[in-house]
Formats: sequence, structure tokens, C-alpha cells
Amino acid sequence: MEEYAYLTSILASIFYLATSARLLRLHRRTRERPECLLGLYFACSGLYYLAYNVPSLLGFDGWPPSIGLAVEWVYNLGVLPYLLFIRLVFRPNDVWAVGLVAFASGCLLVAGVALTAGGHVDYSLDNPWFLTQWLGYTIPCAWIGCEAVLDWRSSGKRARLGLVQPLVVNRYLLLALFGASQFLACLSDLLFAHDISNSEAVSLVTNVLLGGTEAASVVLLWLAFFPPDFYAGWIARRAHSPVAAE
Amino acid sequence: MATTLFDIAAERLEASTDLDRLAVRGTLRLALKEAGLDPQNLNVAQLRAVFEKLMPRELEARGVAKPAAICSAVMNDVMSAARTADLEVSSSPDEIFKRLGGS
Repeated sequence: MEEYAYLTSILASIFYLATSARLLRLHRRTRERPECLLGLYFACSGLYYLAYNVPSLLGFDGWPPSIGLAVEWVYNLGVLPYLLFIRLVFRPNDVWAVGLVAFASGCLLVAGVALTAGGHVDYSLDNPWFLTQWLGYTIPCAWIGCEAVLDWRSSGKRARLGLVQPLVVNRYLLLALFGASQFLACLSDLLFAHDISNSEAVSLVTNVLLGGTEAASVVLLWLAFFPPDFYAGWIARRAHSPVAAE
Repeated sequence: MATTLFDIAAERLEASTDLDRLAVRGTLRLALKEAGLDPQNLNVAQLRAVFEKLMPRELEARGVAKPAAICSAVMNDVMSAARTADLEVSSSPDEIFKRLGGS
């Protein structure tokens, strides 16, 4: 079961890297910031999950502490463009959003410095710096989920006026579900820390949650950023059906 | 001084009807809410859709005569004022997510 969770994470990391490549290629064409920020986040996430899971899957004891810390920094720094993306896209004029970005970024940077000073990565519920880091990367997952739900609801109204395509409305829903899935993954990180604090073994529930949320995230991102024709057609037909039009 | 499309539209609408400032802004806000739009982040296309499809009904309900003609005139005014003022509206989430998904 544990191997299944690791394998799912590795597949997710490859998918994140592919999504990143697509978004950064789009940025080269448009020169717009949202695709650049989200592309950087997925690049860092993909590299992190890949680096984090490869040792476990291949059965060696893990990276030396210095590489482990470098991998943590890649992730911590990668969350910063994600926070900026959410603010830029959903809350460009709200002061509180700047505060939230600053708070979450501060958590990630302070935790990164503290973990580096400690010399090794310690996933433990007794380690306040792990919890600080956890807070820093959990905030954007919950935040983007909430913002996407709000925009999904309002975009339905805009769609009735012909201002937005049904596929874009559906993209908000997929992003909301992605945020929820990532938030659940963050919660399972706490279970993971609890498991390895008390014993060496990771529980079945934790593995199912870790693997399941990553698998769900991949499917949701695929439908959102690489919508296949059958899916796009289904969304369009559904939007124009008499029931949906009511 | 008008600074957003919402402010410009409300100003022009107030000048074209007997409604007072509060009534005009309230009516416009209700129409925007019904359209799922944020008054602070409007673009011209969104405002035009509201003035074509929702505002005539709202104005009629408030006893304004010839609401469709007024809406059309106000929208023309707003468009030229927006061009003159060079109002920079940041990309809406709809445009960004349309682009990100490649549709």
C-alpha cells in the first residue's frame, strides 16, 4: 500500500511538471504573469514530490540532510508564486489578501530558516517549525478552493449572459475540487507526521489519503488544463440542455 | 470624480434619468449582482451585457420611461469616456482561466 502511495505521488509529480511546462510555454507567448506564477508553482511541486518520493520507492534510506533541506526549500519557495497567483487573479484590489500572502510567505520562510538551522528535516507534530511550514503551504490550498467556489457560483450567472464559456465555469469547479483535494492532502501530512512520530510505520489510512488525494488532483488538473474533446463536448452539451438552461 | 467604469456608468445614468445618485448606484449594483459581476473589476464588455440585458428591465421597474434607449445612450457615453480616461482594467479571472485551459 505504501508503494502505491509513493507511486501515485511520483506520477502526480510528473503530471505537475508537464502542467508547468505547458503554463510556462503559454507565458512565453503571452508574457502574462498568472501563467508564469502557476507554472513556477507546479514546477517546484513536481520537483519536490519527485525528490521526496524517489528514495522511498527505490528503497534507500533517503537523501543526506543537506539535500533533504534543499528539497524543502524548493517546495517552500515554490508556494510563494502560488500565493501571488491567487492574490493576482482573485483579489487584486484587496488589502487583506496582501496580508494573507505575507503571513503565509512568512511562515514558509521562517520555517525554512529554522529547519535549515536545525540541520535536518523533522516531520513531527512536536516540531513547531514543521507546523509553521504546514500552515504556510496549507493556506493557499484552502484559499484557492474557497475563491474558486465563489467564482464558480458567480460565473454561472455570467454564463447566462454569454460573458463566460461553460468550460470556464466548469474550470472553476475543477479548481475548487483541486483545492479541496490538496487541503485534504495537507491534513494527511499531519497524519503522516503523527504516524512517524509514534512509530516507523505509516498507517493505511494515511497512505490511502496521500495516494487518493494525489490521484484526484491529477485527474482534476488534467480536466482543467488539458480538457479532452469528449469532456469539453459533454460540458457544452450539458450547458445547452433544457434542464441546465432553466 | 469618477474613477471606475461603475462610477462613470452611474454618473451618466443619473444624468439621463430622474433617479437620484443612491437609487442609480443601488439599481446598477443589483443588476451587476444578478450578472455575477464585481463593480470594482468591470470591463466594457461585461458592462455592455448588463446594460443590454438587465438594466432596461431594472429601470422599467423603477418607472423610467424608454429604458432601452437610455441604456443604449448611456453605454455609448461610457465607452467613449472609458477610452478617453484610458481605464486600465486588469484581466478578469474568467479571461485568465480561459487562457490557462487553452480554450
